[in-house]
Amino acid sequence: MIIVNRFLEYLLTFIIIISLNFFLPRALPGDPLIQLTADTYDGVLKMTEEQRIYFRDYYNLNLPMHEQYFHYLRNLLRLDLGKSIIYNMPVAEIILKKLHWTSFLVLSSIFITTIFGSILGAISAYFRNRPLDRVIYTKMIVLSEIPAFILGLIFLFVFAARLKLFPLYGAYSYYHDHLNTFQHFKDIIHHAVLPVISLSMARIGSIYFLARNSVVSVMGKKYITTATAKGLTKQRIIVKHALRNAMLPVVTRVFLSIGALIGGTILVENVFAYPGLGMLMQEAVSTRDYPLIQGIFLIVTLLTLSANLIADLVYKKLDPRFS
Amino acid sequence: MVLNNISANIEKRLRKWSIQGKFSLFIIMLYIIVAVFAPYISIYPHDISSAPPLIPPGGKHFMGTDELGYDLWSQIAYGARISLLIGSLTSILSVIIGSIIGSLSGYLGGWIDKLIMRLVDIMISIPELPLIILLATFLGPSLINIVIVLVIFSWTRTARIVRAQVMVLKNMNYVTSARTYGASAGYLLRVHFLKELFPVLAINAVRLVSKAIIAEASLSFLGLGDPTSKSWGLILNHALGFSGIYHTDFWKWWVVFPWLAISLLVISLAFITRDIEKLCDPNL
Repeated sequence: MIIVNRFLEYLLTFIIIISLNFFLPRALPGDPLIQLTADTYDGVLKMTEEQRIYFRDYYNLNLPMHEQYFHYLRNLLRLDLGKSIIYNMPVAEIILKKLHWTSFLVLSSIFITTIFGSILGAISAYFRNRPLDRVIYTKMIVLSEIPAFILGLIFLFVFAARLKLFPLYGAYSYYHDHLNTFQHFKDIIHHAVLPVISLSMARIGSIYFLARNSVVSVMGKKYITTATAKGLTKQRIIVKHALRNAMLPVVTRVFLSIGALIGGTILVENVFAYPGLGMLMQEAVSTRDYPLIQGIFLIVTLLTLSANLIADLVYKKLDPRFS
Repeated sequence: MVLNNISANIEKRLRKWSIQGKFSLFIIMLYIIVAVFAPYISIYPHDISSAPPLIPPGGKHFMGTDELGYDLWSQIAYGARISLLIGSLTSILSVIIGSIIGSLSGYLGGWIDKLIMRLVDIMISIPELPLIILLATFLGPSLINIVIVLVIFSWTRTARIVRAQVMVLKNMNYVTSARTYGASAGYLLRVHFLKELFPVLAINAVRLVSKAIIAEASLSFLGLGDPTSKSWGLILNHALGFSGIYHTDFWKWWVVFPWLAISLLVISLAFITRDIEKLCDPNL
């Protein structure tokens, strides 16, 4: 019952997002057609009659509002996100070509932050208020405040431009045809190291603080006292007894933070010229390719909402109080 | 006499702050001074070329110049104005709007509360940056629009916190007794609730300042900021757009100084938040 309720809530959110996406270009001052033409590079306001008709038909602007809305919904159901102005290709197709790069960055960062964040959190909790904990804690406050793209910028210039340890841009080397599969794989990893590290370092703080708190509260439980009395090693107590039970809030947080992570990825991709959705979005923004911007927004939001829904489900699955 | 009292009070409060916290307060003061007196301390104009392009730091251009020969220090100083202005404006507006909505929701309860909380849930589950980008693209880049967009996203957390507090407070015995004496909702809010809410709101406000500063820098970095006012994010955007930036030493001042300006500010704000939190909650 609760799950059905939550599901309905997400559905409602999604309908609001879709409607926002529809009404935004139509409700704002000025006709989207004027926006489309007046904001071009040279500021030329002229649009041929042919172009005007094209865009009017594209947005179905001659139809009454509710019919426009139904058109829009029907297209969405057919997974038709419209046509990009610059690429002259279906938006869905362009997004599909870039999506895996963004997913790759997001998933790798989730993997790294979850593992290192919870381990550091557990260590910190175990040595609570001792020097080691204090050092890690303060470092994490500093780290968690600096946004990922700002971290990425300095990594880019120090490790890529100056020390030449990593490539400057892109997700793979050009002229990579001669590489075999293994070399190709290595090449991709090599390109992803700096973006993933920037994203992970910026996000690790939130996982760390949660894991630390969670382990601290678990450490007060009686079964930990029992484990200590049994003479188990520190490592075993932390990993087997404390961390395992403290993981529930961490896992939930990981899914809930995907929205913020995607936001960070959009910026980081632009720092490293990484060819994912973030770069595409920036490109679409600078060329005022409205259908493309809206398409990316819709997909990114859908992914985030799905992640939030999964977080809810996982939480209910893992938490014994719910079953 | 009164002055003495105040300074003693401030001293007493400051003694509880950590070293990082005190240092951060000092840094924030510096930023505020630089922002307020930007026209007087910035030797060169920030929007007119005053030297050859891309000269390294040294001499009178002690942070060097950018690709058009604009003095970098004056750009950083004027950038502090934009960052602090957007940060504080967004924070104040969001806290005010969030408090009003939150206390209405908590105090009135019923369907109004349900409606507002559902709205807050929805707002929180939408990924912020993509929607901010979308809104900024359609609204067009200007400082006011950036503040509006950021406020739309920032009031929700305040509303949640205030609602929770008001719900606890409104059932306290002293509040109930005040109400039986005929106290109005406005009176309760002013006299009883605000005092209790103040520390929570203060922490929230500092957090929002930092969040707004980062959001503005992100938008300008993507080229969606106000093009007429050079903020730190826009300086970074220009620097990264410069074709030779990776193969020359220009980044050592052109990227590093705006980078430092942003990082130092947000880190200082983080330490201040932590210290206020500690002062308000003795359990931590």
